[in-house]
Amino acid sequence: MGNHIRLFIRESWLLIVSSFLFGLLLAVTDAAWSPQIKQNELNKFNKLAAGLFNKEGTTFEQVPDIALDKGKGQKIPVDVNKAVLDGRCIGWAFVAEGNGFAGPIRLVVATDAGFEKIQGFGVLACSETPGFGDKIKIKDGFYQKQYQDAPVAPFSLTKAGDPSAIDSTIIAITGATVTSEAVVTIFNRYAVAIQMQLKAKGLLTHGQ
Amino acid sequence: MANDNAQSVTTSATVWNGLFKENPTFGLMLGMCPTLAVTTTMEAALTMGISVIFVLIGSNIMISVMRRQLKPHLRILMFTLTIAVFVTIADQFLKAYQPVMSEYLGAYIPLIIVNCIIICRSEACASKQGVWISTVDGLAMGVGFTVSLSLLASIREILASGKWLGMTVLPLAENGGWFVPWAGMGMPVGAFVTLGLLLGLAVHLTKKAKG
Repeated sequence: MGNHIRLFIRESWLLIVSSFLFGLLLAVTDAAWSPQIKQNELNKFNKLAAGLFNKEGTTFEQVPDIALDKGKGQKIPVDVNKAVLDGRCIGWAFVAEGNGFAGPIRLVVATDAGFEKIQGFGVLACSETPGFGDKIKIKDGFYQKQYQDAPVAPFSLTKAGDPSAIDSTIIAITGATVTSEAVVTIFNRYAVAIQMQLKAKGLLTHGQ
Repeated sequence: MANDNAQSVTTSATVWNGLFKENPTFGLMLGMCPTLAVTTTMEAALTMGISVIFVLIGSNIMISVMRRQLKPHLRILMFTLTIAVFVTIADQFLKAYQPVMSEYLGAYIPLIIVNCIIICRSEACASKQGVWISTVDGLAMGVGFTVSLSLLASIREILASGKWLGMTVLPLAENGGWFVPWAGMGMPVGAFVTLGLLLGLAVHLTKKAKG
């Protein structure tokens, strides 16, 4: 037994010591830079969300205890923010995410004050195929425009139709059906669930 | 005295190898994935190149320091562990201080971990040479890689947009000039065609130099 332990230590001490030291080094760099990374993410959220409301001076107040049911009793916390201008609620913005064709897609979704209509969405992170799936990033492109003023209700995806019609039917981007479907799925997973929770908390007071 | 002389010869040979004779892109043909993917703009190519220089120097120094303690069966594991640490540091740094470029480069920064240049230099140089030569090798190989990426990116960016590092270098037709941008140069086809032409040129020049 003692020989086995000695052999193990002799053969692997460098790996164990290096792992410990490298872990320490990464912990130090993470401690030093993670506040800046979080600040960058917050700045990006604020910039994107404020752009969706298109009103200067909009600030955001985080709403606590909003979560999505993941099943089996597990909950995923959702970053939901109240958009405030001159002391009045002008809408809601939340971060929603799901899996796209080439990796995770993170969106900022904005709604009106009554959480009845979508104001639009912006892309926080996406690594979809350039020229195809990444067309979801184009501000005011045909894909994003379909969501503007659409009702907060389950969306369905179709390959052909009139993209200028504002309803719960979304026309897919040609050559990027998986990405288009992913965005629809993200909306369907988050929007109605958050609306119900805000209603239950008595927060949907139409601009009050 | 003789040792000093030998060391200086080796150092200059290491620099020559990294920059020209064994240039990672045009000599060894390693690291082709970022070469093709991130050379759409000069800024992206420079960011990738500097990140690779940092990882190469850091991992080469660490591996050289521990080379006498490396067990043959744990060698690759130690290389990967060391490289992963420096790549994570580079990735975190870019996320903190270059968030736009970090997002633009996406998965290609974390993918430096599997870049063949880094593991090749760990195995071929750092695990056999002292700290000085390993550092010089990391720097020379990294600079060689960066120069290659920059060359490719310059051609592609100029032909795709008429700009270089954001500055207009060719008068665009839409502004009354004569140059019509080649959209294809910003796409994968532009990367393959440019790399092919540059590789052909590199082979031609090498053959000419050998006589």
